[in-house]
Amino acid sequence: MRPSVLYVPAAADGVARIVIDREDDRVNAIDQRMMEGFAAAVAAAKTDRPRAILLLSAKPDQFIGGADLNLVQSASETDIKAASEAIQRILADLAALPAVSVAAIGGAALGGGCEVALACDWRIAADAPAMRIGQVEIRAGLLPAGGGTQRLPRLVGLPRALDLILGSRQLDARRALRAGLVDEVVHPASLERAAVDRALRAGKREVRGGRTPLERAVTWLPPLRAYALRRARAEVAQQTRGHYPAPYRALEAIATGLAKGIAEGQAAEARAFGELAAGDIARSLLHLLVLTLGQRRAALRGLGTPREVRDLGIVGAGFMGAGIAQSAAVAGIAVRLRDVDAAAVARGIASAAKLTRDAAHKGIIDRREAPRVIARLSGGGDLVGFARAQVVIEAVFEDLAVKRTVIAELEAALPADTVIATNTSALPIAEIAAAAMHPERIIGMHFFSPVHRMPLVEVVRPSGASPDAVATVVALASAMGKIPIVVGDGPGFYTTRVISALSADAFALLAEGARVDEVDAAMTAFGWPVGPFTLADEVGLAVALHAGLTTARLRPPGGVPHLLAAMVAEGMQGKRNGTGFYLYAGKRKVPNPRVYELAGAAPRAAPAGTAERLTGAFVDEALRCLDLGILRSAEEGDLGAVLGLGFPPFLGGPFRYAAARGSTRTTPAA
Amino acid sequence: MKAGTELAGLDVLELAKAATVEALARTEVAFEDVGEVIWGNVTRPVAYHNLARELALALSLPPTAPAFTVGMACASACVAITTAADHVAAGTADLVVAGGSESLSNVPLEVGRKLSRALVRASQAKTLQARLSSFAGIRPGDLAPVASGIRETSTGLTMGESAERMAAINGITREAQDAWAYRSHALAAAGLADGRLAPEVGAVYLARGAVTSDNHVRRDTTIEKLAALRPVFDRAHGTITAGNASPLTDGGAAIVIASEERAKGLGLRPLAAIRSYAYAAVDPAGQLLLAPAYAIPVALRRAGLALGDVDLIEMHEAFAAQVLSTFKVLEENGAGRVDPDRVNVMGGSIALGHPFGATGARVLLTLARELARRGGRYGLASVCAAGGNGAAIVIENLTA
Repeated sequence: MRPSVLYVPAAADGVARIVIDREDDRVNAIDQRMMEGFAAAVAAAKTDRPRAILLLSAKPDQFIGGADLNLVQSASETDIKAASEAIQRILADLAALPAVSVAAIGGAALGGGCEVALACDWRIAADAPAMRIGQVEIRAGLLPAGGGTQRLPRLVGLPRALDLILGSRQLDARRALRAGLVDEVVHPASLERAAVDRALRAGKREVRGGRTPLERAVTWLPPLRAYALRRARAEVAQQTRGHYPAPYRALEAIATGLAKGIAEGQAAEARAFGELAAGDIARSLLHLLVLTLGQRRAALRGLGTPREVRDLGIVGAGFMGAGIAQSAAVAGIAVRLRDVDAAAVARGIASAAKLTRDAAHKGIIDRREAPRVIARLSGGGDLVGFARAQVVIEAVFEDLAVKRTVIAELEAALPADTVIATNTSALPIAEIAAAAMHPERIIGMHFFSPVHRMPLVEVVRPSGASPDAVATVVALASAMGKIPIVVGDGPGFYTTRVISALSADAFALLAEGARVDEVDAAMTAFGWPVGPFTLADEVGLAVALHAGLTTARLRPPGGVPHLLAAMVAEGMQGKRNGTGFYLYAGKRKVPNPRVYELAGAAPRAAPAGTAERLTGAFVDEALRCLDLGILRSAEEGDLGAVLGLGFPPFLGGPFRYAAARGSTRTTPAA
Repeated sequence: MKAGTELAGLDVLELAKAATVEALARTEVAFEDVGEVIWGNVTRPVAYHNLARELALALSLPPTAPAFTVGMACASACVAITTAADHVAAGTADLVVAGGSESLSNVPLEVGRKLSRALVRASQAKTLQARLSSFAGIRPGDLAPVASGIRETSTGLTMGESAERMAAINGITREAQDAWAYRSHALAAAGLADGRLAPEVGAVYLARGAVTSDNHVRRDTTIEKLAALRPVFDRAHGTITAGNASPLTDGGAAIVIASEERAKGLGLRPLAAIRSYAYAAVDPAGQLLLAPAYAIPVALRRAGLALGDVDLIEMHEAFAAQVLSTFKVLEENGAGRVDPDRVNVMGGSIALGHPFGATGARVLLTLARELARRGGRYGLASVCAAGGNGAAIVIENLTA
């Protein structure tokens, strides 16, 4: 194999080049060989003594995507620490060269790639969609360990560096320019020329710790710095609830480096990196990261041939339908919405348009693209424009009869090869399609709410489903920017089934007298985003009851959520009307005493081990889903639980959690 | 929609988008199958040099599909449609979106020539002093914006004044005009109510709700109410009122034109075929809006038809006086007597409005759909235009 880093000695203009091109990796991930190549290139530059050095990738739309995960995933703490120190040394040597160095960044410069760029004097970025730059290690439970916690605050100032590192932010070219992370943005075709010009005209860079006097003051004046770090630590504490150590370690490395110098800061970096990377939490997060990155391809495995979706029909322009429409329009798909009348369609389009403008405002989509996205949305009270669609998604009310009516209408209007996807969170697809002429093209497509923010789509494959239709829906979900998992049919499929198992057990706890707020608090302390009672109130008690009743068939008698039924019968709706498991008054909520009366139990403290018990119920049901073949793999089970239901990511998903506790077998269903 | 009402917030591009999206949906044509866009329009913001191209790009139609804007005043969309038909016939395009849009709520105002020159000079000036001196000689009166012309540049007459002349020359009485206007509103109201006209109206979705139906059709007007209106253009001797003329309108209309093979290939069911067309022009100093009376016989001859062979006629109603004058001259020049019962059977521009650039497409669409509904064979559309131009298009029903 040819070397992944090539040193090209200085040409007549005095500019040498370090060219990165890892033959066996698309994103030029940093592995052992690349590190050796880098070391050799820097050594060559030391003897060659060029006037300037250009650092660039031979892959036109790729810089360095990060560290090779093999480097951290299987190694020991000592080895990982040593690898971090080695990278630090190489980049320190690069930075110390007398030559002016310029990184020409044409594509992703993430994690270690960002650190390589930071070791150069100047950074020129291509104005291309593939170009993203940032220290994204925290998201994987790690921290920048190639000097990133040291060089970034010195370049952009402490306040901004804290935001970038702790938030794992990836910036596009324009935002990176604004942040001071890159010095110039040019068209990709001019990238190399601009880098050469910069190398020849500019001198060595002196970093000052921020652009404004205030930024520099916060970076360098100890009391202000201490204040900024304290604020950041408080925010981290609020966000992680103590489950994620990486941000604290990053803060520590940053603080050490600014107080005691880069050498000590880098030592803190390397130490923390070794400990974190060898720990369970980073390994769980990496497990999920690797699964997520590979899932769009993995999901299609064993399915048929997907059909590209360019036109999409959606029946139901409510909250769900509008959210689905917006995600599709962002993906370049022309969307036709149908609802009862033009006023309902107008509301749906208006809400999708607002989501789009908000996304443009936040920089998630290009400002000029936003009106084009909105222009892809149209609709009406009939199925006009649906016959040209490759897929039609039904997103009407969760009611079997209503859904069946819609299916019948669609089958009458659509060509026989249009795939019909039904967006339901619990109803078995086979029952929805029971009377269909072509049940094989009716597939479940379970979106999570709110659609624009939730990354998971659970694709439900009934037993007689056409493999091509399933593949088409999976590919559509991927095109819409979602992560699809493919599950078998049945009440609640996978996600609603497992969360209902948790809820059912929570209702049982309540009947035993546990306080709702204490159960919820135990769950959030354990790492869940919300507890089961808050969740029920938020999704709405009617929806929760529907899911409970649908999945109750799976459970022994007593699984029917009588309490929930009684609450709904009394007119409680949850957060929506301010009355559910809690009573809501403005931002405050207190447990609803009526719930204890209905449960027939005097409220007592939640027993110790509540969160473990409820999580266990969830995990048991997940294991059962794999045994029953509802899940294709444990990996999809982990992804679905984390991305769809908020299963604590640091545990890596229910299967990884079960494996870690040595319980990979299900308890037989009673 | 009447200018200044519900669609006033949309500019000419947004109206074009709404019409095109709806036309593609109703024909079940996917965006990516569009090969060319030809768009008619009269007034637009200067930023939209080529409105058709803006439309194609705004809708993410294939970026490789050429797009151009055409202008023949009120017959602009006719030019878009017949050009599209020519391209399809010649084999240079196989699926074209043709139409037009107009926002008379948003007529762009220009600055006067003196101020305009000064602004250009200032933008080219190298120093602040030169920039400031560019404006020397500009008087307060030069700052007033100039509305785009409503007068014929060659005659200095407004459209209404020209129509008054036609009414006088052809002896069209105020009563006859009001009767035609009443008929237009009554038939349009009936067409919307009984579901013949409503299906060709596409909803426009705004943040505050949907706009779904015309707002200029006066369902409650009477001959008496029309007779009570005062003449606008010639207050002393005139016959033309706001009631028997077409209103200022915001709107858009689009048609999909494809070759037979392409339509078949996409599994589409064509509505009508364009059989022939003709353009004619008259001296604006004479009868400005009379050109259709000369275009119609030519178009019919090219289709091998006589006026009597035509089952249905859609004639743009700029003014009732212009429609009735056209009938008279058609008869005089030997084309034949027009049977009014076959003309504008669901009302015309007086009731439905007249978004200049869109009218040709609106008229042709109404004609094709009603012809299909009635099971007739041939239809004739005509549109008169400022400057003395006129268009006539003959279509054949393909649904029979």
